[in-house]
Amino acid sequence: MAKSDLFLGLDVGGTHTDAVLIGDKGIVAHYKAVTDHDNLFLSVRTAIEKISGEAERKNIKRLNLSTTLSTNAIVENKLEDVCVIISSGPGIDPEQFRIGRYFYPVSGSIDHRGKAVSGIDAASVARIVGEAASKKVRTFAAVTKFSTRNPDQENVIAAEAKGKSDFITLGHKLSGQLGFPRRVVTAYFNSAVWRIYNGFADAIDACLTELGILAEVNVLKADGGTMPFSLSRGVPVETILSGPAASVMGIAALCDITQDCVVLDIGGTTTDIAVFAGGVPLIEKDGISLQNYPTLVRALRTRSIGVGGDSVIRATAKGVTVGPDRKGPAMAAGGKEPALVDAMNARGIISYMDVKKSRDGIAALAKKKNMTPQKLADAAIDSAVAAIRADVNAMLEDINNRPVYTIHEMLEGAQLAPKKLYVMGGPAEAFREKLAGAFGLPVVLPKNFEVANAIGAALARTTIDIELFADTGRGELLIPNIDVRQKVASGYTLKDAERDVRIHLANHLKGLGLTVSEADTEIIESSSFNMIDGYYSAGKDIRVKCQIKPGVLKRLS
Amino acid sequence: MIQAKNRMGLIFFPAYDWAISPTHPEREERLLYTQDQLREEGIFDIDGLVEYKPDIATEEDVMRLHFCFPDVETVTTESHMISAGGAIKAARIVMEGQVDKAFALVRPPGHHAMKSVHGNRGFCNINNEAIMIEYIRDNYGVKKVAVVDTDCHHGDGSQDIYWNDPDVLYISIHQDGRTLYPGSGHVDELGGPNAAGKTINIPLPPETSDEGILYAIDEMVLPILKDFKPELIVNSAGQDNHYTDPITNMNFSAQGYAMLNEKLNPDIAVLEGGYSIQGALPYVNLGIILAMSGVDYSHVREPDYSAAALRQDPRIMDYIKKLKNTVLDAYRKPPRYEGLPPYGEFMKRKKNIFYDTDGIRETQMESILRCKECSGLFSLETYSTVCELSLGIEIPLGACPACQKEGVKQLNAAKKSGKYGTIQVIDRVKKEYYRV
Repeated sequence: MAKSDLFLGLDVGGTHTDAVLIGDKGIVAHYKAVTDHDNLFLSVRTAIEKISGEAERKNIKRLNLSTTLSTNAIVENKLEDVCVIISSGPGIDPEQFRIGRYFYPVSGSIDHRGKAVSGIDAASVARIVGEAASKKVRTFAAVTKFSTRNPDQENVIAAEAKGKSDFITLGHKLSGQLGFPRRVVTAYFNSAVWRIYNGFADAIDACLTELGILAEVNVLKADGGTMPFSLSRGVPVETILSGPAASVMGIAALCDITQDCVVLDIGGTTTDIAVFAGGVPLIEKDGISLQNYPTLVRALRTRSIGVGGDSVIRATAKGVTVGPDRKGPAMAAGGKEPALVDAMNARGIISYMDVKKSRDGIAALAKKKNMTPQKLADAAIDSAVAAIRADVNAMLEDINNRPVYTIHEMLEGAQLAPKKLYVMGGPAEAFREKLAGAFGLPVVLPKNFEVANAIGAALARTTIDIELFADTGRGELLIPNIDVRQKVASGYTLKDAERDVRIHLANHLKGLGLTVSEADTEIIESSSFNMIDGYYSAGKDIRVKCQIKPGVLKRLS
Repeated sequence: MIQAKNRMGLIFFPAYDWAISPTHPEREERLLYTQDQLREEGIFDIDGLVEYKPDIATEEDVMRLHFCFPDVETVTTESHMISAGGAIKAARIVMEGQVDKAFALVRPPGHHAMKSVHGNRGFCNINNEAIMIEYIRDNYGVKKVAVVDTDCHHGDGSQDIYWNDPDVLYISIHQDGRTLYPGSGHVDELGGPNAAGKTINIPLPPETSDEGILYAIDEMVLPILKDFKPELIVNSAGQDNHYTDPITNMNFSAQGYAMLNEKLNPDIAVLEGGYSIQGALPYVNLGIILAMSGVDYSHVREPDYSAAALRQDPRIMDYIKKLKNTVLDAYRKPPRYEGLPPYGEFMKRKKNIFYDTDGIRETQMESILRCKECSGLFSLETYSTVCELSLGIEIPLGACPACQKEGVKQLNAAKKSGKYGTIQVIDRVKKEYYRV
């Protein structure tokens, strides 16, 4: 009998570390432990050791890792000093984007067509680099406005920093998307976590070798896809906030989702909402925000509401409310104030830890408000369900009312209409009927949702998105984030661009050792405008966005 | 993140799939570079600035204002309904308190569209701002509105629509009509007998720069607004006073536009013309949006800006300074109309309108019942090279019972006569708008 290929998924979350080992016939093993917050590497190593025997390790074909390392470094401000050199040209005052201790706006300007309006002052860049070196700053970030249209000035900064830096992030390599402030923030974070991430990566690589694991290794991104581990060493910022995406991809693996649907992950303190359109999870339009900083990091579109099992119940003049905060654990778990799970315990919907304490707590609060305990508990549960429903509806409304830019989309634009609700998380079962009633939709609780995050990590596919920009007047084609820059003839058309963008994407992935079929690539935006100078044609402005959308390697349903 | 001082709504609708014709200035990519600039600057991440999707104006929204011959569908496309709907959305979010200010960055424009519409003139079919203002007056009980039109071309459509309306102050700053389309907008065009002084025209000489335009704002527009005390200020934010505009001759800059907006402090701005789509619009729109949001705009500058090259000829300033008193007098002491028919009788006025874009010639006979109680029953007989003799009857906002009755009487007589291809009725009292 041939040995089956194994997929190992690891999700090193803020609280728990989950791992699953998946074979041809489904889940072979799973493992859960409390994350060692101060030593994530150890959490990874222990998980691998516990979940797999020596024989199995040899058969692991793909090891996918979701880690909070970069997120934690940013949130806890364990960041290395970065010398940020930017040139912004005219527009919003660059001081508005100041970040970190070493932030240097320099001259130089590129316009929206990618034309250099004024050159960057290489001498002052050299002086700044020297100054940084004298302060022992060894990581850099270079960002110029419109560098996705013309990366020359970022490359000048890179050339000046060469030999004096350990690492430099160039804005145009992060994304083809416009958004100078986001580019600045993303480049800064990327450089600021580069060293700590690479230290971690070195340890992981050594450990895998030691454990005899020869698998292809990937890391999870916030868009629910993976990227090769080796590649992530240069863009560690791409690994932020991958945890929630891993759970959503887990649901995609556990259920055969083909329609519009909503996924709810009801946890202790929050309920996370994600949305699928036609079976594919929706992506955030511009990129995810971290610590109130919008970034260029692509992410699944999710939304979080302060309603979870431990959300505190309050009875006020206006009625009974739940959340958005928690006051320690639920009374059933030794807490002091009744929480949502206490209401469920009191009503006999669940039987969680000390049911009597829940009943007493609910009764005490009810007595204060002259209600029956039953009524108070019901009101609390209803309030939680109503809050979740309102937030889901608000999210759907946002999606359906998103701005569009053509008459065609304005008149024919598809509207999202969920057909099912997928619910996971501890209190999921208890909410099933209530949610079905509130939404008027069938509710599905996937099997094994406790390890959905690790399953999602194990089975997530590679994702990538690139943006081609061609100006046939200037005779140039650019795909900034995969470093493509070439000449095009004046007769270059949109059709050519759509073909080429796919070829470039396939070549890029091939270079990374990944094979993709053309069917995996998808053109998501495509436009060609005739540029007119006076009354004469001045060439075409062609833009094509191409991606490999998030998906799973196989389903477990 | 940058924080907006004013909560600001931006309705951005570039209509990337619509053009008048392939090389026409009003074509697909007109706002493409503006969108690039706004995205690159991170405008949509400013805290307090929210992007909204436009509404689609309904036939009723158009018929509340315009007489469309033969009907709304024939003289508009979807793009016009979305553009007008963008203005309506701007109004709704401001009036309902979701935002403090809103900018409808939409195309196609509207300020050359007059009361009666047979086709496209000056790139405009229906008047976005006027449709919006009438929507506001019908839905939110606002009475007094000021429109400040800062497009380089005289907004002859808006002037025509509000010519007889004392509650809508229309002020236009533009390149002198003796030197630019549509040729109108002279200082002595001051509004009809019911609304004398409520139309104000400030024609400026070619090559007027920031200094001259901002002087006109400070010394003419602002004092007039202060006196008029509008409940709402609307800016028809044309951007073709810019020094790079290909079809005009002024020397205004992005800084100038931003400062103008800050001084004017409009509640709602609606894009009009502006066809320097690479050299001006990205920077002018950026400046206007920052100014409206209350975010510092002092670093906004065109790549090729040169203060020296745009310095204004001193004779231009002398001219504008002299214009000041004429304009202020026109507002404060508009000349009385002599020889008007007595109350109870009709004032008549014949007009010939040329639709430059569509090549249509229209002839109108306008008639207003002189009324002591209200602004008077309005009717308009019209025919053109594309439309047979038709009639529009408007019972205006706040019409007295006698004028309402007269309207019904005219309608019945018109129906009976059988001589009109189309009859359109605007009954602002009953809020009924229909075609017969």
